[in-house]
Amino acid sequence: MTILNQAGAGQTHLVMGNEAIVRGALEAGVRVAAGYPGTPSSEIIENLARVSTDEGLYVEWSINEKVALEVAAAGSFAGLRSLCAMKQNGVNVASDFLLHLAASGTRAGLVLVPCDDPGALSSINEGESRHFARLVEIPLLEPGDFQEAKDLIPWAFELSERLRTVVMVRSVTRLSHASGSVAFGELPTTHPKPVFRHQGFILDQMEGVLMSAPVDYKHAQQQQRLRLAAEIFETCPFNTYEGPVSPELLVVTSSACALYSREAIRWLGLEGRVGLLKLATTYPLPERLLEKHLSACARVLVVEEVIPFLEDNLKVLACELVGRIGPKTFHGKKDGRLPTVGELNPDLVSAALAGILGREVPERPPDYTARAQALPLQALPGRELTFCPGCPHRASFFALHNALTLDARAGFVCGDIGCYSMAVLPCGFSTLKTMHSMGSGTGLASGFGALKARGLDQSVVAVCGDSTFFHSGLPALINAVHHSSDLTLVVLDNRGTAMTGFQPHPGLAGEMGTQKLAPVDIPELCRAIGARVEVADPFELAATEATLLELLDQEGVKVLVLRQICALSPEKKAHKAFEMSLDQEVCLGENCGCNRLCTRVFRCPGLIWDAKRGAAVIDEVICTGCGVCAAICPSGAITKKEARHAS
Amino acid sequence: MHVFGSNELRAEVLGRGLCVGCGACVGLCPYFRNHHGQTVMLFDCTLGQGRCHAFCPKAELDLDELARLTWGRPYGGEDLGNYLTLTASQAGMRAASGPVQAGGTVTALVACALESGLIPGAVLTAREGLASMPRLVSTPEAAALCAGSKYLASPTLAALNHAARAGSRGLGVVGTPCQVLALAKMRTNPLNDGDYIDPAGLVIGLFCTWALDTRRSMPLLRRVLGGAKLKGMDIPPPPAERLLLKTDQGEIAVGLDEVRPLIPHGCEICPDMTAEFADLSVGVSEGREGWNTLIVRTPRGQDLVERALRDGYLVCEPLPPGEEEHPREASRGKKRRALRAAADEGLLKDAGDGRHAALRLPEDIARRLMANPQEAT
Repeated sequence: MTILNQAGAGQTHLVMGNEAIVRGALEAGVRVAAGYPGTPSSEIIENLARVSTDEGLYVEWSINEKVALEVAAAGSFAGLRSLCAMKQNGVNVASDFLLHLAASGTRAGLVLVPCDDPGALSSINEGESRHFARLVEIPLLEPGDFQEAKDLIPWAFELSERLRTVVMVRSVTRLSHASGSVAFGELPTTHPKPVFRHQGFILDQMEGVLMSAPVDYKHAQQQQRLRLAAEIFETCPFNTYEGPVSPELLVVTSSACALYSREAIRWLGLEGRVGLLKLATTYPLPERLLEKHLSACARVLVVEEVIPFLEDNLKVLACELVGRIGPKTFHGKKDGRLPTVGELNPDLVSAALAGILGREVPERPPDYTARAQALPLQALPGRELTFCPGCPHRASFFALHNALTLDARAGFVCGDIGCYSMAVLPCGFSTLKTMHSMGSGTGLASGFGALKARGLDQSVVAVCGDSTFFHSGLPALINAVHHSSDLTLVVLDNRGTAMTGFQPHPGLAGEMGTQKLAPVDIPELCRAIGARVEVADPFELAATEATLLELLDQEGVKVLVLRQICALSPEKKAHKAFEMSLDQEVCLGENCGCNRLCTRVFRCPGLIWDAKRGAAVIDEVICTGCGVCAAICPSGAITKKEARHAS
Repeated sequence: MHVFGSNELRAEVLGRGLCVGCGACVGLCPYFRNHHGQTVMLFDCTLGQGRCHAFCPKAELDLDELARLTWGRPYGGEDLGNYLTLTASQAGMRAASGPVQAGGTVTALVACALESGLIPGAVLTAREGLASMPRLVSTPEAAALCAGSKYLASPTLAALNHAARAGSRGLGVVGTPCQVLALAKMRTNPLNDGDYIDPAGLVIGLFCTWALDTRRSMPLLRRVLGGAKLKGMDIPPPPAERLLLKTDQGEIAVGLDEVRPLIPHGCEICPDMTAEFADLSVGVSEGREGWNTLIVRTPRGQDLVERALRDGYLVCEPLPPGEEEHPREASRGKKRRALRAAADEGLLKDAGDGRHAALRLPEDIARRLMANPQEAT
């Protein structure tokens, strides 16, 4: 029970963009929701899961985004409004099904919510989901503020049902993760019973077969839906204009960029000269609406993030309309007024506006930037990216680094995205040498390992998290076995989708609402595939290293499951396995041949170098009592004692 | 002695392929480790001087300084180094039986030293599968299991370092000349540690022309052995030109031309065949099967030999006429080849030369040792 399903109509609440999306879905009567965790999208499924028992929703964290979209589509096919959420690159994973779904069409409303991450604040890519809407020919909506984040969702469900196709509602980090006031609407009280009708005429959308064939017929039908969408978008209440009737410059924008643009126009005092056309319907574009605004102005600035999408589509449209609206000058990405990389902000938009209109941007004090940059250095200690105190990954990569160095065959680790991506950095002993999409470390290792028969004489290791293993590591592992590749896969099993907030995955037993989650055993699965499998505790450094060395000596596909729960997991938090102590009399400090291994190389944040005493010291406040540092101190200055837990 | 740190050791010894995996740098700190016979450095270390460099027999080995500190006289480049007596020997009645290489002298001497309480334990080398691994033993029976030449480089001194770290002192060590050179450097306390205590109470050196790189030898050994279990190895005297593998399924011969590429580069610059800085040095007699050549070098070594003779562990005889010339000639040859190779690569320096060197030797002696046999006589 949360505010999202309890607060009544007419109430206004301060909520996150993702929560506004959830409220919108609940007001639309959503019955099925599925997704795969990924910042900045995760709170959508999490919040729906929280109310799922109360509201009788079916909510799941799926094995990956493609399956999530399939599960949501099943809801739609069974007559229930369904929603699917994921981060931007999740759409890449789901895209094959999305292509076919767009062609087959849907029944009850189906809304796909990708949350993009311009600037890659929580990503290793700046991928964009918008382009998929054009690629697979489905309507695209973009909320321009928090209220719209809620209001657009029921509108999108209605649209989906009118068109019988999936509708994409795209958010971005600054909408999903920022908060704003949102006035709530009515929640429905009755819901349909699911039923999948399939005995009608084969091409009947509502009672026939759901498929993308016959392609010529279905594709034509799909494009007809898109034309209808454009017509509906002409009067979409979420496309708004503010500014003079005939502005000197028309800003066309969408999403969070609408907020930046509005702020920039106000800051520069350009309200009388610049018009702001904020579009919620960015694909397909409503032609007559744009013709009206383009006719009123000779110069256009398109404000959007990363690569041009709106700008390109608008230019094509303006070209088609040139006989009626006359030639226009376009500003934006192509002329370099706005960057094609990273997030936008009011400063960047202001600079673009000022440059185009020949206005001076109000000057900052000359040393403002230097002073702003110096300030944190005075007040904050220098910190680099690192694993948490007691993180199993630090121990895992210490053992991996040492095993590969001892193996002395220029071995390397292929990784992917997760907290363990940080193993490219010194905190992971710079062990990771490739990093791409989820599961791709295993696929790359499969390829490298296959080259061993062609002269590659290096040891090949892949790492992936436990959730990633299921998401996309498994096919790559099977590929490796099938093709007699030679690799060692290390599954960093920290018992959850840890980086995104401990969402469950198929390896774990549990419950979600009233639904039982049945665990699938990773080691047994790998054995069944035909890999040699070992399981170890990464906190047992010596045993882990020895197991790794033994596996590296074997040919074929080997799997080492390193099982140790994440230090931040709710189960582990505030429970120390060991009480750690460091005897500063025994620590030889600078005089030890260890050359400060603990604080110079291992560098758990729980270990501090006490320069005054010339010895290491344990930070009791953040030490999680994992016990690993006791194993690395050659002087035996660090000792561990089993902690007694208050029951 | 020029002592630098681990980074120089990594660059100048590991980086140049001079490391023979003796284990002298292993077990002193968390950074140097040995796996399958190969020594690696796990992480960078910022210390400017370290025991790892100070003990390494392939880094800044100043033979003249070492001779002055160990023997109390300059290094003269004599064929067999400093010694008191030279005899033929073999195990006596009291020695435990084991797969000994020739006369069983080393195993007998270790048994005697252990049983008489002269040493509390001994650091030896055992065969584990195909690899040679250090072993710390405290009984003659355990020592006997380590009998026999291994021909594969072993990080034996790592076990000594580990034992010393755990508090053991006065241990016996049986090692190859490189290991004995490292021990000699170790025993001069090159970093002037205030609390230094000699970890070795007795050093028995083995005659050695070269040993094989364990890591690189594995594929060859696996291939020729097939399913057979390796029990021992031997290189019969010239002109046999073969390595004999003794297995549970009989002997397998491998041509030395196949084996020579597996010799570590570091062996090629080693000027010591007879472990000149040991208390005792033992080699296989070339002329008499079942006998060893025993060089007694120090009073400590002499005491042990006398006790072993008295207590029936050892039997000694004078070397047969002409037998002495075999090790002398082989030793001269090894010195000549090693110094020439080191000089060619710029690894040999005079004591006064400030640049980094693998080996230091007074220039006149080096020139004499490198000269052709005809010119020298």
